[in-house]
Amino acid sequence: MKKIILPVFLMLALTGQAQMKADDVKTFTLKNGMKFLVVEDFSIPNANMYLFYKVGSRNEYQGITGLSHFFEHMMFNGAKKYGPKLFDRTMEFNGGANNAYTTENVTVYTDWFPASASEIIFDMEADRISSLSIDPKMVESERGVVLSERRTGLENSPWRLLSQSVQATAFQEHPYHWPVIGYEDDMKNWTQQDLERYFKTYYAPNNCVVVVSGAIKLDQVKRLAEKYLEAIPAQPAPPVVHIVEPAQTGERRITVKKEVATPYLMIAYHTPESKNEDYYALNILSSVLSSGKSSRLYTALVDKQQLATQVSSDFGDSFDPNLFNFYAVANKNINETDLENAIYAEIEKIKTNGISETELQKIKNQKLMEFYSQVETIDGKSNNIGTYEVFFGDYRKMFNAPANYNKITVADVQNVAKKYFIKSNRTVGILKTNVEN
Amino acid sequence: MESIKKTILATCLLILAHISLSAQSYKLPDYTTFKLSNGLTVYLMEQHDVPIISVSAILPAGAIYDNDKAGLASLTATALKHGTKNYTKTKLDEELDFIGANVNTYATKEYAGLSSNFAAKDKVKVLSIIKDLLLNPVFDPAEFNKEKSRLLVMLEQQKESPRSVIGSYFDAFLYGNHPYGNVISGINSTVSKLTVDDLMNFYKTNYKPNNSAISIVGDFNTKDMKGELTTLFSTWTKSTKEKENPATKTISIPTENRVLLVNKNDAKETTFYIGAPGISRNNPDFVAIEVVNTLFGGRFTSMLNDELRVNSGLTYGASSRFNTLKNGGSFVISTFTANKTTEAAIDKALEVIKKLHTNGLDEKSLSSAKNYVKGQFPPRYETAGQLSGLMTQMFWYNFDKSFIDNFEKNVDGLDLAKANQIITKYFPNDKFQFILVGKSAEIKKIAEKYGKVTEVDIKDEQKKVF
Repeated sequence: MKKIILPVFLMLALTGQAQMKADDVKTFTLKNGMKFLVVEDFSIPNANMYLFYKVGSRNEYQGITGLSHFFEHMMFNGAKKYGPKLFDRTMEFNGGANNAYTTENVTVYTDWFPASASEIIFDMEADRISSLSIDPKMVESERGVVLSERRTGLENSPWRLLSQSVQATAFQEHPYHWPVIGYEDDMKNWTQQDLERYFKTYYAPNNCVVVVSGAIKLDQVKRLAEKYLEAIPAQPAPPVVHIVEPAQTGERRITVKKEVATPYLMIAYHTPESKNEDYYALNILSSVLSSGKSSRLYTALVDKQQLATQVSSDFGDSFDPNLFNFYAVANKNINETDLENAIYAEIEKIKTNGISETELQKIKNQKLMEFYSQVETIDGKSNNIGTYEVFFGDYRKMFNAPANYNKITVADVQNVAKKYFIKSNRTVGILKTNVEN
Repeated sequence: MESIKKTILATCLLILAHISLSAQSYKLPDYTTFKLSNGLTVYLMEQHDVPIISVSAILPAGAIYDNDKAGLASLTATALKHGTKNYTKTKLDEELDFIGANVNTYATKEYAGLSSNFAAKDKVKVLSIIKDLLLNPVFDPAEFNKEKSRLLVMLEQQKESPRSVIGSYFDAFLYGNHPYGNVISGINSTVSKLTVDDLMNFYKTNYKPNNSAISIVGDFNTKDMKGELTTLFSTWTKSTKEKENPATKTISIPTENRVLLVNKNDAKETTFYIGAPGISRNNPDFVAIEVVNTLFGGRFTSMLNDELRVNSGLTYGASSRFNTLKNGGSFVISTFTANKTTEAAIDKALEVIKKLHTNGLDEKSLSSAKNYVKGQFPPRYETAGQLSGLMTQMFWYNFDKSFIDNFEKNVDGLDLAKANQIITKYFPNDKFQFILVGKSAEIKKIAEKYGKVTEVDIKDEQKKVF
């Protein structure tokens, strides 16, 4: 469904000698600071527009948790020219569809449309950025929608509850402490004022990067951007998120009760933000551990020892230092402690012996294939270019990624494992039916 | 609410009046198709934008052939990757992972399938693996036992999520004894009895080149590929007897409203379907039905989502769809809501379908739906994987490129009179089949309002017939 939350950003893996080059991305910045990245691609008669606003749940505080995501919903509920419901109705009438997602770091709006409808898309985006109207009636019905979204997430996956609990334990001060969807009681109490302030502070052209890909010429994008968006005034830069999570000084553990067939387990280590020099090595480490059936964790835990029915890991993109997570579900009659220890045993192997050259090459090959699949569609192009621009500070880094991955050695991977996978730096979460013993 | 909707629509069209939509003609790229002497149908389409290749294969080996062994087709498809004549399972996983290739094997209700993506430079290696998976699987007993025990736990874990089980309850409830009611993933009592011999026999009977197809799209030369495929797959022996399709038997039609209440004690929301018999994929009105369903429940501003989400905030999303198979299909309205708003949401959904029948459509909304399905059509066939999947679907459901090439024309040809006939003919107005997954203690009384209630518990094994 529409307007979804992606708690962890899709991993970006960009390597290799892709067909697409940095020079294929054209860029310009409007006088109000709104930056555009454009990729002309006439393979289908469609185009898209991705708007990356640098606001997410990390910009909230307790009392307004979940507001970034709620605001994302409100962006579809009416502005000056296109009133309530008209954004969606007009877009669909013109053959377009849209969606949006909110993460801890960013809020991204996505429009997919026949290229012939480009002008009206610019008009509608300009309308809601310049003059959103926050109708109190819409606020109330939309509140019900996000409460349902929260409930259905919890109802359909034990991971939702467990990851929220682990995150709240791993982060004690930094805003990654609360879930993107927000606390239920905050969700019931956001005010009109909160929404208006949010709009003014974060929905400024200078806080947004726009990517357009598809069957549309750069000149045309530029003309439409100038016509519809350039007059929107810039705003002062939003307040800096100043809280830095203090270093963790001892293992933390949390248990959560929920009726499940077998226990769910999460282990989270604090790791640095995307711009950190260890990013590429950590990314490769995650793939060595859990990408594919020949990966370390799948082979050991699911296939050989049969301790788990599934296992995975992730290391996502973020502005501030975040978590490297392990996820596993215990097999029938398996004690979750044995499963946990088996994961540590695999981690220890890498810390002690490192990974092999073959494993490293395997991951580099996989990254290349991932890159191909991402540039196969105009949506993949926009999403990846925009994400690189926002998280790494420059879309060109997407094209330097091959070199950056290729520089990584087996020793680098071993070193990051040793540096971050230490007991005092981890939070362990267990979700199970019986929490009394 | 009524008046608001109308006002908005009028304003909307005023704004749009001056915009002319230029044609977005989308044609299927050229491809070659031929048949090997053993009957295997092959489709080849060159696409050189990205140096990758996608393969899709389709075989008449889906869950409709399970008979009383629910889960057999699915487990057989999975077990193709448990090792072959030339590769152990470990070797297979390592070889594919090392080059970043993926090969998935799966079973759906009607057919088994294989889909694969890999770098063009790895063509020879991956194609020979795919050949081995389809022609020479060994069904290793040790791997089978591991897979089976994992599957049994996963069948239990599925019950943690109403969304992952409601579909198979619905199919069983609607289709009853017909093979379309078969549970693809199987149930505990049938899966626990399956043996590696069952899989081998199922494979030998159903994985045959005649009645099957393979399509390849991507960065290759058609002439070379034709030669390579002919060499690889010509040794596959065809079946000697005519394949029977158990799904051709008559599907019985519901005679009254019925409710299946699936109790989940810890549920905080009710997940529900309101369904009815639908259409088969080859229905001549397929495109017209898609357009009308777009308006009813197939997009964000659809009647259903507008009422249940936008106007009332009862749910995060409400939608409807036609699930189409070769010999039949179903229609479902699907949504979820908090326990305490269960009645309001069901009533509202029924009210919306009633309104569809009473009011019909108008020119303006029909134009909007037509523009929308046309505008969103080309991205459905953008990647090599999408295109290779499309061609195996063409084979399976017996339609050709004219479906793609004439799609726009067919959409444009739908006029209001016809659209309103579509509603009367294909959208249910009564004899609804309800599936409610939720907390019985709180919603049973409500369920009784809608029809005769059959109650089961989500923890119990799913029955074949209710």
